[in-house]
Amino acid sequence: MSAHASTVDPKKAELWDTHHHSHDVISTRTLGYFLYLLSDGMLFATLFAAYGVLSYQHSYFGGPTPAEFVKPWYTFAQTIALFLSVLAYGFGMNALKHKNKSGLINGMLAAFVLGVVFLVLDIHDMSHLYSMGITIASSGGMSAFMVLTQVHATHIFFGLIWILVMIAQVMTKGFTEETVGRLLTLRMFWHLQAVIWVFVYIFVYLWGYIS
Amino acid sequence: MLVDLPGGWSPLLGRLAWSQIPYANPILAPLFVAVVIGAIILLGLITYYGKWTYLWKEWLTTVDHKKLGVMYIIIGLVMLFRGFIDGLMIRTQQVWAVGPHSTGVFGSLHGYLTPFHFGQVYSAHGLIMILLAATPLLVGFMNIIVPIQVGARDMAYPYLNALGLWITAAAAALIMISLFVGDFAHNGWFEYAPIFELQYSPGVGVDYWIWTLQLVALGTTLGGINILATVIKMRAPGMTWGKLPIFVWASLSANVIALTSFPALQVALALVAADRYLGAHFFTAGMGGNLMLYTNLFWIWGHPEVYFVILPAFGMMSEIFPTFSEKPLFGYITMVLASMAIAGVSWLVWLHHFFTMGAGPYVNTAFSVATMLVGIPTGVKVFNWAFTMYRGRLTFNAAMLWAIGALFLLLIGGMTGMMLAIPAINYMVHNSVFVVAHFHSMLLVIVYAIFGSVLYWFPKVFGFKLDEFWAKTMFWLFSAGTALVFVPMYMLGFMGMTRRLEYVFNTSWQSYLDVMELGIVVYTLSVLAFFILLYVSIRDHAKNRVGADAWGTSRSLEWMTHSPVPFYNFAVLPHVNERDELAWRRQHGIDQVRPAHYDDIHMPNNTGVAIIMGGLTFVLGFALTWRIWWLCIVSLLAIILLMIIRSFKGDPGYIITGAELQRMEEEAYRREAQIADSHHSHPVSGGVVGNAMAYQRNDSSK
Amino acid sequence: MEIKWRNWLKNGWRAVALAPVLLLSGCAGNTYWIFDPKGIMAKTNLFYMIVDVVIMGAIVGLTALLVVWFMWRYKKGKNRGKYDPHWSHSNTIEVFVWGIPIIAVGFLSYFAVKGTFEINPYNPTVITHHMKPNGDPVEVDVIATDWQWLFVYPQYHMAVANELVLPVHTPVFFRLTSSAVTTTFFIPQLVGMIDVMPGMRTKNALMSDHVGEYQGIASDFAGAGTSWMTFKTKMVSAGDFSQWVQQVQKAPGSMTYASFNRFAQPYIDVHHHVVYFSAVEPGLFDHVMAEVMRGKTWPLPPMMTENMVEYMQKQAAEHRD
Ligand code: HEM
Ligand SMILES: [Cu+2]
Ligand SMILES: [Cu+2]
Repeated sequence: MSAHASTVDPKKAELWDTHHHSHDVISTRTLGYFLYLLSDGMLFATLFAAYGVLSYQHSYFGGPTPAEFVKPWYTFAQTIALFLSVLAYGFGMNALKHKNKSGLINGMLAAFVLGVVFLVLDIHDMSHLYSMGITIASSGGMSAFMVLTQVHATHIFFGLIWILVMIAQVMTKGFTEETVGRLLTLRMFWHLQAVIWVFVYIFVYLWGYIS
Repeated sequence: MLVDLPGGWSPLLGRLAWSQIPYANPILAPLFVAVVIGAIILLGLITYYGKWTYLWKEWLTTVDHKKLGVMYIIIGLVMLFRGFIDGLMIRTQQVWAVGPHSTGVFGSLHGYLTPFHFGQVYSAHGLIMILLAATPLLVGFMNIIVPIQVGARDMAYPYLNALGLWITAAAAALIMISLFVGDFAHNGWFEYAPIFELQYSPGVGVDYWIWTLQLVALGTTLGGINILATVIKMRAPGMTWGKLPIFVWASLSANVIALTSFPALQVALALVAADRYLGAHFFTAGMGGNLMLYTNLFWIWGHPEVYFVILPAFGMMSEIFPTFSEKPLFGYITMVLASMAIAGVSWLVWLHHFFTMGAGPYVNTAFSVATMLVGIPTGVKVFNWAFTMYRGRLTFNAAMLWAIGALFLLLIGGMTGMMLAIPAINYMVHNSVFVVAHFHSMLLVIVYAIFGSVLYWFPKVFGFKLDEFWAKTMFWLFSAGTALVFVPMYMLGFMGMTRRLEYVFNTSWQSYLDVMELGIVVYTLSVLAFFILLYVSIRDHAKNRVGADAWGTSRSLEWMTHSPVPFYNFAVLPHVNERDELAWRRQHGIDQVRPAHYDDIHMPNNTGVAIIMGGLTFVLGFALTWRIWWLCIVSLLAIILLMIIRSFKGDPGYIITGAELQRMEEEAYRREAQIADSHHSHPVSGGVVGNAMAYQRNDSSK
Repeated sequence: MEIKWRNWLKNGWRAVALAPVLLLSGCAGNTYWIFDPKGIMAKTNLFYMIVDVVIMGAIVGLTALLVVWFMWRYKKGKNRGKYDPHWSHSNTIEVFVWGIPIIAVGFLSYFAVKGTFEINPYNPTVITHHMKPNGDPVEVDVIATDWQWLFVYPQYHMAVANELVLPVHTPVFFRLTSSAVTTTFFIPQLVGMIDVMPGMRTKNALMSDHVGEYQGIASDFAGAGTSWMTFKTKMVSAGDFSQWVQQVQKAPGSMTYASFNRFAQPYIDVHHHVVYFSAVEPGLFDHVMAEVMRGKTWPLPPMMTENMVEYMQKQAAEHRD
């Protein structure tokens, strides 16, 4: 018995690709970037797991716990800044649909400024903790807290650089296949960071504040 | 300085100081001199023959997936050799340092390596073999074969592909330089908590380990993304999922594992780095740290990783068996399902690496049963290969011998794996040389599959076959070495010998260690046979030239294009009608049909950015290891800047016109006809791997 | 010339295949510790190993034979078996191919679960279910340092370094911890491995009916001194045991946390010093664990990791006799 009887007639079969079809550059690029984001998501999942293991009472080792220093309203302001930034980016992408270059750049600039606000708030928060003597070396629990939040902040930092680069590229090159592809992947990146921030906000800040 | 470092530190050189160069070490100093002399000779030869431009244009800046693959394989083979030397050193120490009355030299109480040096050797051995020999070798083959087998002209992202290669090269360079500058880690390839903490490993060894692994992880992730996207997006018209060659399926499942599991390793390493560099308390015994977290994180990556390396090897075997059995693979669907099942279940078994850590019996049994479930699809694969041979017409050439050897080793490794999977047995042999023998059986499956593949695909890449006699000689010597080393090792496991002993406290193990030493000598002969194999084959290459379908019984697309494969792979992409397209065409006598006309095609340009990035990541890794902060910042900035510049410039690629293509194709067909005519006529030109630059030079001279 | 080579290779290969057999018979005097258990825990482990090897061995062996038979029968040019260039599927075979491993794993799973409970280090039913009501279990607190073993006998308020002496026919319960780094406690002929971790407590148990001396090993790598971190385990009769206890209790040394702190300094125990301590600070085990959890470490000087040559020479001068 044979695996699968030949279904194609070899005499009539098409042997070579005659209708020259080009690959869709943008969708290939976004797929690859999606795959990268998948691994980035796994990275955060692992960090969350580590945080989960290291957020028991004894992980703080009698030292400060998030409940003692987290100010939910402060972090809520960060949340708002980041979400507005994503929204602004969305407006920019809407302008892209209408081939509106200045609209896109305005949206990107707004997204950039709001991202900077987020980051400045984060840095201020960290230096405040530092001034209280709370550092990554305070305890296992604090190590996990710091690394999780600051790895996210680092992502935001690189995202901001990327936004600047894209503003410059759109200004100099306009909407080419390359720049549009990058704008799309940057949007995916920016959205993922916002989504991850929601988890950070809920599981690290709010949950830490409550417990 | 963020943590209290034992020893000095200066802003300019970090922890680097003259005392870190082991110029007084009786083993390393002569080796260093030899390496320097060798390097000078090599560089001199390249200069003498004026090959720098060729090297730069054809290899160092290439984005051609075949050349990148060849370079991956070269890195893999070089590191395999280094790892082998480490293995030889381990065996020699253990055969020497047995019992209280054994002698010691070079300052060691017993044998010739101090405990610390011995620890470095076996740590480097393990890390190199798994991550810098097996992985690059497999990635290299995936790089070369997958795009051709799916009928594409290149990978989805040629530049990213080059970047992955050069980052891997940077990792290899970093671990090599640890030989001569400072030390490597000495606590095993997977390290332990909390011995890797600064208090217990004050040197730079663990730091070398961290950054080498981080670079490997980065390179492998980039490679994984590329392969997945290539398979998803770049398949030739007509190639539905059900027609995908089995090696492609294997690569796909392996890279799904890689992409999802390597982040766990990256996090584990980053947290170790946080402990060592910033004084964090992730894995410390006190201050609220949790050292078992490290073990879990590591093996959450570690177990999927071992399947990441074995699945492509399974894929290779699944290509070799049908070709030399002259019939289709038995149970294609089952094979695909089994690969996917292995990939899936490999996520749920990590705890079997530390049953002895004292988790409760419920947890242990859950992981025990999950582990044994992996044995099911693995067993299915073995049966399917057996039934591929059933009713076949078997040719036992060297490639097939390696594949069959791999099958038998898989039986042994699977059997011992199933033993280790049961906690009641594991408690007795965990951390013993029995485990070492188990995973060497398994990793040797990979090595056998790789050597089989080298023989099988060599003619495709280089246009001529390797010498059968020396290939078989090497196979038999290698197998004799395997038996002599690993049979006694299993026996020692049953005798209770634990692993990583710098000094062997039980004299009654001596005779077994002697036999293993003999085995290593036989292995050395097989390495010699490999060099002779290369020499003889290259010497006689004109005699052994082959056409497109080198073996005459292969089944998949790569055998439809010329050997060596032209840089554009296919002048016209094939339209796929059947699962084993070439076999089907051959059967119906249409395998010689050529495309009727040629269209223009678009190819990516070469770029020097990738290799510069590789160099910069090496500098970054080195600077981090030695805590030279200014250099870290400079190299990091340079990397970011380079990325931005590259993104501004982009790559428009270039066009090859249909007429030009036709000219090259006709030339290739003419050459093939010549080979068919006679093997003794004037040697044909064409060098290794169809040369893109040669083409462009022709073009401009026209 | 080539022919000769080939013959030589073939014969060589035969010799190689024979070598292991010769080894087995030639060195029969050696003890296969795992095959020669002297305690009920190790015995139970061996039982499961045999079960597993029988089931898996049958399948693996038959498969190997099948492959060899196919290799022989379908060799090209011999025309022993029919060549069918298209045959690549059979539902019957598929059922067997999946069915056999599934059934085997099913069987093995049953034994895996059963065995794990029987030798569960925290509550090994092979020991606890057979405990005689009057059997007075011996308790031992094991503290691993870099690179020595301290065995505390809380019932007798005494401790011994680098030697374990236990009575036969009596359940022995261990609590284990480590001062500096992780290692594993293993006595091949008596009891399987259990990890020993700083700041944490694990447990294990053993029982033996055989008087004798058995090798104990630190089986997980713990740094430079691991290879020498071995200890002898002496199973003795009840009478000998109480005599030995009296002897230890007469020893001059005592073990407080302060002296433990000195004892735990990194030290490669090349000559296996056995030291008796007649008095032990009560709760030493918990004290050590608590200190470690509070962040206490016993750092290694770079000289004991980076450049061991110096240290080893010092050791050699001290110890070689
Ligand atoms: C039938 C499938 C397999 C089973 C049931 C199995 C089972 C196990 C178990 C239970 C262990 C832990 C042993 C211990 O430390 O006590 C182990 C270790 C190991 N296995 Fe496997 N295994 C299988 C296949 C593989 C494959 C395919 C590979 C890779 C090529 C592999 C490589 C390893 C390695 C590298 C280790 C030990 C790493 C170390 O401790 O250094 N195994 N295996
Ligand atoms: Cu090895
Ligand atoms: Cu595993």
